Amino acid sequence: MTTTDKPTQENTLGSPSPDEPGAQTLTLSVGPQHSGSGHMRLIVELDGDIILNAQPDPGYVHRGIEKIIELRNIIRSIPVIERPSIIDASNLNHAWVRAIEELQGVEPPARGQYLRCLLNEMNRIMSHLYWLSIYGVFLGHTTMFMWPLGDRELFIDLAESLTGARITYSYLVPGGVRRDLPQGFAEEAIKRTEYFEKRLDEYENIFFKNPLFTSRAKGVGVLSRQKAIELGTTGPTLRGSGVDADLRKDEPYAAYGELDFKVHTRPDGDSYSRVMVHVDEMRESSQLIRQILKKLPSGPVRRKAPIVVPRGEAYGRVESARGECSFYMIGEGGDKPYRARYITGSYRNMAAISAVLEGVRLADMPTSWWSIDYWPVEADR
Amino acid sequence: MNLSHEREDYLIKILKENFPNDIKDATAIRRSRINVTVAPEKIVDVALFLRDKLAFDHPTGVSAVDYNRESRFEIVYHLSSATNPDQRDILINLKESVPRNSPKATSLVKIWPGVENFERESIEMFGLQFEGHPRPEKLFLNDNWDGPPPMRKEVRFPTD
Amino acid sequence: MSAQKPVQSDDPIELLADSLNVWVGKLSDIVHKVIDTEPIRNVINWARMYSLWPVNITTACCSAEFGAASGARHDLERFGVLPYGSLRQSDLIVIEGTITKKMAKRLRMIYDQMAIPRYVIAMGDCAISGGLFHDSYSIVNGAHEFLPVDVYVPGCPPRPEALEHGIIMLQEKIRSSKVYPQS
Ligand code: SF4
Repeated sequence: MTTTDKPTQENTLGSPSPDEPGAQTLTLSVGPQHSGSGHMRLIVELDGDIILNAQPDPGYVHRGIEKIIELRNIIRSIPVIERPSIIDASNLNHAWVRAIEELQGVEPPARGQYLRCLLNEMNRIMSHLYWLSIYGVFLGHTTMFMWPLGDRELFIDLAESLTGARITYSYLVPGGVRRDLPQGFAEEAIKRTEYFEKRLDEYENIFFKNPLFTSRAKGVGVLSRQKAIELGTTGPTLRGSGVDADLRKDEPYAAYGELDFKVHTRPDGDSYSRVMVHVDEMRESSQLIRQILKKLPSGPVRRKAPIVVPRGEAYGRVESARGECSFYMIGEGGDKPYRARYITGSYRNMAAISAVLEGVRLADMPTSWWSIDYWPVEADR
Repeated sequence: MNLSHEREDYLIKILKENFPNDIKDATAIRRSRINVTVAPEKIVDVALFLRDKLAFDHPTGVSAVDYNRESRFEIVYHLSSATNPDQRDILINLKESVPRNSPKATSLVKIWPGVENFERESIEMFGLQFEGHPRPEKLFLNDNWDGPPPMRKEVRFPTD
Repeated sequence: MSAQKPVQSDDPIELLADSLNVWVGKLSDIVHKVIDTEPIRNVINWARMYSLWPVNITTACCSAEFGAASGARHDLERFGVLPYGSLRQSDLIVIEGTITKKMAKRLRMIYDQMAIPRYVIAMGDCAISGGLFHDSYSIVNGAHEFLPVDVYVPGCPPRPEALEHGIIMLQEKIRSSKVYPQS
């Protein structure tokens, strides 16, 4: 902690005065050991308790994944590329196989495409629920921590029966998916999604109409539409600022072209909008799960694909829970990519942290930056 | 799904018309993916044109690729459009090459503020230099690593 | 090192203080011994076992399973494990996965600031040996390189049940340990 005393001028308490030369400011380092930071550090400059400037200091989880996937073959890399956002493993996996399939020219069979979408949507719900529960921690709302984590286990059980793992599935492989639906999966899934939607209504009443939440989220941490676009943000952050960009609609991959769903946006760009976009998306995803199970075509789930990255360039991108996740892959004809650039949603949204935190009170800092859905592991890779 | 390349061809035509000498290559590698290679000196002009005239205002990322056999780095700006819903799926890879022994490029942070972190990452991972970058410091590797830039091809793992 | 004996001082006050020091030392030894006898030790260890408060630090993706374990279904608070914000009042570090070089420094700093007794659980393959990222340029291959580890929980990520088992193992370890491990 350091204080910088500049020649004093009158400093009215509580009003942000970034341009005033005489302001007395305090630089505060938050994290990585802090209940409101996670695996990252924020360097916050304060005037009173108003944040003038906040710079994220990432890299606490930088593991060199881009280097590792250059050195392993494309199948061995699948667990590695899932790890950055372990709570959203299937979507990241999808970006990887999409880049490879684009180069190989392999098109998975229809049933495989639907099963991919199924796991993606389940993962989206799980990831949003995990995010929501941590949001509860940051609000100091223990029920909001416990309930979403409890309901997340509904989908974890489903995913476990489908793939054999709780959260790290490695389910998508080039050419399709690893295995077909287990017996009785569809009925169980429909039951659970219907129950979950009822729970979401309860959430609405208990959490999202609660003044404890609204007073700290409405009008706090505003990211304007213009700013959101030029900073390159993506996912719920961008949609919370009123841009209806969603790759599932804009570039319909897998089976999304044949499915019927809406893209949810909110115009205000504050924390509240971003939270509500997440909630609406969970509803939409649980509707999508039922739709997928109803429309599921029969046939094989996987087509043979060689373990080879043909010469050329591809850009595989999908809409993950935290926004667009993409691989820029350059192949040389071997079983490893020459270069695989990994750009994740959180990494892109990192630029929004300082924009969102400017002018926010220190007490609102954790809830404001967490509303961006920034998962430090995913950003650092 | 519409499989024609009309929009891509149109964009390429416009780019070629406006920068006949500066664009070395512009091709649609597949549907909705366009590669545009420009000379490093002219990248700012092309970038401004893309942002203001063609509405590619949404930076998706910046990649650097180490072609050590050809002794050059390639810097790739991935651009998409958020304001124009008709070309949301189109992704332009704006490429420039810098020599490996003096990897200097011009920063495009002034044009797309969102590329700041990506350029910073290229600085630490590949040892590139971006002129005009507001914070040319380390991003992830501060405290993490102080050897040569780790993403260069000559850096290998000990057990590799 | 010189073999010279320290010069004995003639100052009576200093002599008195010296002998007093010796006596205080002996007395505290006796107190330690008394406390370390069965009934008192059991009570103290019992208290330590069920108030393992981990530090609020997450190192990598295993934190997702740590979160799930603290959540509604598994609820680590049943075992007295409640993540806590203050270092001085917590006694456990759960290293949740990959330790980067940058984080390793901070982890050591955190460990040094904690009050004794303090325990370390290395959760996940990454914290044990580097796991999937073994030998990558920015990570430390295992927590044992810079911290004394009490319990290893393997898995990538370990299931919440495995973490619970690890905590029970740590509690067993505390049950049979001395109150003053240093003496
Ligand atoms: S052990 Fe697996 S889940 Fe845990 S941090 Fe390492 S890679 Fe992540």
